[in-house]
Amino acid sequence: MKKIKDYQSKDVQSYLSQVKDNDKDIGAFLEFNDSAEASDIEGTLSSVPFGVKDNIAVEGMHLTCGSKMLENFVSPYDATAVKKLKEAGAICLGKTNLDEFGMGSSTDNSALGVTNNPWDTSRVCGGSSGGSAAAVAAGMVPFALGTDTGGSIRQPASFCGVYGLKPTYGVVSRFGLVAYASSLEVCGILADSVDTTRTVFETIKGKDVNDQTSIDHIPASPEAKTIAVLSGDLGLSPEVEAAYKKAAEAYKEKGFSIIETTLPMLDYGIAAYYTIAMGEASANLARYNGVRYGHRSKDASNFEDLVQKSRDEGFGDEVKLRILLGTYVLRSGFQDQYYTRAQKIRTAVRNEFDSVFEKADLIMLPAFPTQAFVHGDSSLDQFQQKLADKFTVAANLAGVPSMSVPVSVENGLPVGMQLMGPVFSEERIFRAAEVLAEVLPPAACPGKMEVC
Amino acid sequence: MSKYDTFIGLEIHIQLLTETKIFCNCKSNFGDEPNSNVCPVCLGYPGVLPALNEEAVKLSYIVCRAMNCDLAKEGVFERKNYFYPDLTKNYQISQFEKPFGRNGYFEYESGDEIKKIRFHEIHLEEDAGKMIHEGDRSYCDYNRAGTCLLEIVTEPEFKEPQEAEDFLQAFRRAVRHLGVCDGNMDEGSMRCDANISLNLPGKGLGTKAEVKNVNSSRFVKKALQYERKRQEKILKSGGTVIQETRLWDEQRSVTESMRTKEQAHDYRYFPEPDLPPFRPDEAFLQIVEEAQIELPLARKQRFMEQYKLTEVQAEWVCEEKQSADFFEKVVSLGADAVTTAKWLMGNIAKELNARNIAKTDLGTDSCQLTEKRLAELFDLLSNNKIHAKIAVQTLQIIFDEDKNPTNIVKENGWEQSAEDEGELENIVKQILADNPKVVEQIKGGDQKPRGFIVGKVMAATKGTANPQSVQALITKLIEG
Amino acid sequence: MKTEELLITAAQAQLALPAEEEGRLAAAVTEMLDYFAKMSEVDVENLEPTTHALIRDNALRADNSNPNNKFNNNQEALIERAPESNNNFIIIPNVL
Ligand SMILES: [Mg+2]
Ligand SMILES: [Zn+2]
Repeated sequence: MKKIKDYQSKDVQSYLSQVKDNDKDIGAFLEFNDSAEASDIEGTLSSVPFGVKDNIAVEGMHLTCGSKMLENFVSPYDATAVKKLKEAGAICLGKTNLDEFGMGSSTDNSALGVTNNPWDTSRVCGGSSGGSAAAVAAGMVPFALGTDTGGSIRQPASFCGVYGLKPTYGVVSRFGLVAYASSLEVCGILADSVDTTRTVFETIKGKDVNDQTSIDHIPASPEAKTIAVLSGDLGLSPEVEAAYKKAAEAYKEKGFSIIETTLPMLDYGIAAYYTIAMGEASANLARYNGVRYGHRSKDASNFEDLVQKSRDEGFGDEVKLRILLGTYVLRSGFQDQYYTRAQKIRTAVRNEFDSVFEKADLIMLPAFPTQAFVHGDSSLDQFQQKLADKFTVAANLAGVPSMSVPVSVENGLPVGMQLMGPVFSEERIFRAAEVLAEVLPPAACPGKMEVC
Repeated sequence: MSKYDTFIGLEIHIQLLTETKIFCNCKSNFGDEPNSNVCPVCLGYPGVLPALNEEAVKLSYIVCRAMNCDLAKEGVFERKNYFYPDLTKNYQISQFEKPFGRNGYFEYESGDEIKKIRFHEIHLEEDAGKMIHEGDRSYCDYNRAGTCLLEIVTEPEFKEPQEAEDFLQAFRRAVRHLGVCDGNMDEGSMRCDANISLNLPGKGLGTKAEVKNVNSSRFVKKALQYERKRQEKILKSGGTVIQETRLWDEQRSVTESMRTKEQAHDYRYFPEPDLPPFRPDEAFLQIVEEAQIELPLARKQRFMEQYKLTEVQAEWVCEEKQSADFFEKVVSLGADAVTTAKWLMGNIAKELNARNIAKTDLGTDSCQLTEKRLAELFDLLSNNKIHAKIAVQTLQIIFDEDKNPTNIVKENGWEQSAEDEGELENIVKQILADNPKVVEQIKGGDQKPRGFIVGKVMAATKGTANPQSVQALITKLIEG
Repeated sequence: MKTEELLITAAQAQLALPAEEEGRLAAAVTEMLDYFAKMSEVDVENLEPTTHALIRDNALRADNSNPNNKFNNNQEALIERAPESNNNFIIIPNVL
């Protein structure tokens, strides 16, 4: 397996042309950084290329969010996470595809391009950080930044067979991350190894003056002995079910004690999650009105018309749906039964996790009930896809860290499991993931790019 | 007397005197080139986040405390959602459920009475940008977008438009004394919306109309007077007042319906996820406490009591904190309080005016007349070293040449030789001897030529002679 | 959701809903809202809402204009991003 230093390139431009070539069948990137050059900064990340999900700001590059609304928008500033990586000498190679504004779990909701799963190009790469996951899986970059609002890093990581970390809420600054659901989302990492994930995490974490919800990372104990798994019928596909069992066996083999538990609040998590996320999104996306930047409708007769037409033309269906719902759940007369209730359920979800973490050091659960599905799978419409986020949204509601770890390849497609811990337990998760990799070493995607 | 009760409430917005905006470090300046104090944060760019300004929070709590509010143990920002092009995010970060201050009150003078108005709440929020409308285009300038705005909401308890005007003037003075706002209604750093409703006695609040676009406290009164008449007419004829927003037309002195599609506003407030709640700790509250000052009304009353100033004098001195502080400092250096007040309102005000020095410059580097210099001048005067006319000349030179009064008097040889009565008598004798005709006139009972003699003596003494002493000598020497 | 409510909501969200989208969106919205109704099964009596997951401390910024702020002297670059601008103003069709 390639180590991070194997990616350190002195001839970035020739490397970039290899990547461009490789990306033709995948479509992970929306834009390449043609002025990328090697860095003379010392350090592990020096001259290491990385991808950035296109809802994270990189100065001088587009910040499209996969939307027609921002198709021509170029960011005048760097996101804090990007800035820290640049300061460590890493090189932003390009911007990766995503579901429009992070809304989706396939990347098929991008208005600007299609991204295929490198394991099987007829299949989706997952989402919304699908481009980042695909770029890592295909070996184009050792890591990429993603964002996770309700599973948007972990689910594509599982679909593409890479590691995907959603850190503790607030530990990585959100400055420069284009807001979808502010109280839920974080900036995180998709990477080809635990070690790379750790290195990047150590680089980008930390309190930021530009994000007043950011917090210092005060590491929890790195030791894990007990891992909780979910019992009962979880509605998993046979392949995911099999992978879940394999992973639990692997931990037993390594001397961990596995305990069974239930998380009854998971059934309500989806409703609470989408209520909060859409409510916040309705406000976060209000700024796109064609006035100061972004798409402005050509045929508007007056100001109100201009705003409405610009938004109608600039936003895709899923975005409009979520804005509508989010506006509705905040309306007076409806807010108590929806938005406020959802926030109380959020408290219940947190309480439930707290009690599980009293008896277990980590919880292992699937990232998604199925493996990567085929583009345009009619059995899994947008609504069904939302329900399938059941295992991932809980970590966002609770603000705790969780990482999707590749555990097996079933029928030629990877399956990932989440390792979820209490706040600040990232290192505990990394170590547990390394243990798992000893027993079940992650497989490389067929045709993974080789670097010379 | 009207058969209706009137209920008036005010919503006042004051721009806080911070160096930077509320959520970004753009300068908070009035009158700069359009869109010169803007950045991705205050322009509402994708991906940016607000970072709350500490000073804005501090100044807000200082006002809340001075207005006798219950101070929030937890102040929470919320998003107020509505679309308007002067609002860059299309939501305003404001406060709703948990404002910094609640249940305050403020005492002000109206007529001969001290009245008390209660506040419903005081909250901190961001200001919006400005627009100019011309032809088929509107021009947006976001320099003001994101400046720190404190909103003060009174209970609807003013009974008369006059009370609203009196309150506004007193409140303006108070925030200036607190140093949190310059209170400039012309430039919009203090703005006021008023709501008014009428109802039969005992029936409580009526249906209110809100009046906007009023940029002076006098116009607030006029707009309310107009609005009261308008509503009274409607009610008397059996009609109903429509709840609406009306604009004050300054030219025509009328309020007019905005006639917009008055869609019932639903702001869909919810807690701002980008900003943690603010919880003041002991140290912060201590700072707020230490920033409290005696408010102008209390100070004025004390000045009348303690320094025996007339109401007019006390009012003048206490109009600005700087002038009141200056006054007290001069008095503490030994000057007579009433003399100081008289001089401030008279000679000194005249000099300040002539030199375009503001009353608020008193006691600062922009004003050559320091407290010490003025006290020294009064000292010379009260010890008969100089007389009043010389004192006024000395005052002018203090301003012109930035010198101490003692030096000025010495350099000009203006010391009044009060002890040297003998020499003065010799001079008067000489002048009387030189002007026998005049002496005859005075002896004959015509007092007018006395001034001629005094003038001659003053010229001979370069103005240092005390005119009263000269008069006394003339009487003594002529009438024996 | 009733069409009337959908239209009120769309107006508040400043979304123009072309007539052909109305029905489809209404159905999708209704599907989600029905699902959200599930939340009523949870007893939330003694639960405080979670509005800010992990933040406990005050966060404040010092009131200094930062001379290193690269936007201090480069506002034109921002105004140029507006679809219509002139003389440093961002321009829109007349709002009045
Ligand atoms: Mg307000
Ligand atoms: Zn700014």
